[in-house]
Amino acid sequence: MSLNVTLGSVIRSEWLKFRTVRSSITGVLVTFILTIGLGALVTSLLRAHWDTTDAARRLTFDPVATSLVGIIFAQFAIGVIGSLFITSEYSSGSIRTTLAAVPNRVQLVFGKMIVLVTSMFVVCEVACFIAFLMGQAIFSGVVPTASLSNGTVLRAVIFAGVYLTLLSALAFSLGLILRQSAATISGFVSILLVLPLILAFLPSSWQDAAMRYLPNEMGHAMTSITPVAHDFGAWSALIVLFIYVVALFGVATTMMSRRDA
Amino acid sequence: MIKLEHLTKRYKDTLAVDDLDFEVRPGVITGFLGPNGSGKSTTMRIILGLDHPTKGRAMVKGKRYGDLRAPLHEVGALLDAKALHPGRSARNHLRALASSNQIPLSRVEEVLEFAGIGSVANKKVGTFSLGMSQRLGIAGALLGDPEVLLFDEPVNGLDPEGIRWIRDLFRSLANEGRTVFVSSHLMSEMAVTADQIIVIGRGKFITQGSIDSLTATAKGTVFVRAANHQQLIAALATRGGVVSEVNDEGLSVSELTSDEIGQLAFDAGIAIYELTPQRASLEDVFMELTAGAVEYGSSGVRHES
Repeated sequence: MSLNVTLGSVIRSEWLKFRTVRSSITGVLVTFILTIGLGALVTSLLRAHWDTTDAARRLTFDPVATSLVGIIFAQFAIGVIGSLFITSEYSSGSIRTTLAAVPNRVQLVFGKMIVLVTSMFVVCEVACFIAFLMGQAIFSGVVPTASLSNGTVLRAVIFAGVYLTLLSALAFSLGLILRQSAATISGFVSILLVLPLILAFLPSSWQDAAMRYLPNEMGHAMTSITPVAHDFGAWSALIVLFIYVVALFGVATTMMSRRDA
Repeated sequence: MIKLEHLTKRYKDTLAVDDLDFEVRPGVITGFLGPNGSGKSTTMRIILGLDHPTKGRAMVKGKRYGDLRAPLHEVGALLDAKALHPGRSARNHLRALASSNQIPLSRVEEVLEFAGIGSVANKKVGTFSLGMSQRLGIAGALLGDPEVLLFDEPVNGLDPEGIRWIRDLFRSLANEGRTVFVSSHLMSEMAVTADQIIVIGRGKFITQGSIDSLTATAKGTVFVRAANHQQLIAALATRGGVVSEVNDEGLSVSELTSDEIGQLAFDAGIAIYELTPQRASLEDVFMELTAGAVEYGSSGVRHES
């Protein structure tokens, strides 16, 4: 019989599952609100106070990063979407029904990952481009603006969406290993918020060397139009973050295949 | 057809499934009976490839579950009816299952109607009663029109009408030549549902057979009413008879057949007024079979019913 389980059929099934639960829809809405709403708020405030902003701050002003400031908050919503896409299967027990339908676990997790990464990429790119364009529109006439015709600017905006997409994949992989929503989300938040705090206690020379390996610094490096001190360049940061995701997903997939459901 | 070959599953220091080796045949309803915690669910999870066996293997239609190309077309299963994402509608739950195995979406509507949940198909399954969830689970099991069906405690939470529906369903599935494997911890349920019964306790195989053959092998008692009960008790004791109950009506005797009791009474010169073999009740048979294999048995106090 030709009616087999294929990667394509797994993707169709997982895409239907992804868009038929409230947590995904809410997560996407929150991502839009945080990325675009916070961007609009911060850029408006900046424009209103631009006259009184001192010269030093005007000199280091980055119109791209400022308009994309919302991603610092949206990354947590993205983490929740990525985690829940797998941990909700474990908390509800539906993973057993899922695996009875798709016994090939590698096929299942790849199918899920493809659905997650594709949909998050579209959502995050749209959100980042809207936030950028809106920010520049708010700045225009008063505050210096950036244009997408500049290659570096275009790269920074695209990479902002790529950064968020990679974080969703990171959260998903973490969820595949930990299997619990609360543990996964706190683990994800710890990586982004607690690790930098711990590093802050290290001697400054160590800090400078270690900081660049933190995912949040990669986000910083990827979305900046000028090189960030002690950080990787934008492309290197993308590659290192990508390696993190691949490594963690590899470990998660191996564990998934060996453990009982 | 399902075949277990020396199936063993160890969790740290507990042996959940201990060397199970049996076949579940097509065309009949096979009951899988054992006390709670005896390893029924673990066995079913291993058959479905969800848990990995420590030793041995479970084969479905001659293959490991993981090697089935489109499992829902071959095996339908209902393990835990409440194991569903509560925020998804029944229809979307079935559609997701169907699309993973390339089952046409029209089939989803068929099984929804068949299971009697067509009118609530767009409701979130989190709002479903256990009975409705069971019906949804059965709809999911039938989705791919499979030849082999597994149900773990399917009548839990069903109302009498639902229980009747599910029994009729099992019967018609078996009559169509399918393999129907149903677990339960209730012998009385199995007695009216299953043709063949496999009994396990503490993960070990205990016995296998039809309800009739299982009750026949179990020790029954014999009710005796005689002219002199005291003399009769003394006479019975000489041949190893155990008197389990004495009242004004008569005696309940075990370990001896009615023939032996009649002969003893005759030899002792005691007039017998009544001599009736009592067939063991189903629950008695089950208790006897699984005695010592109950994980959470009540110790000390025996509840006589």
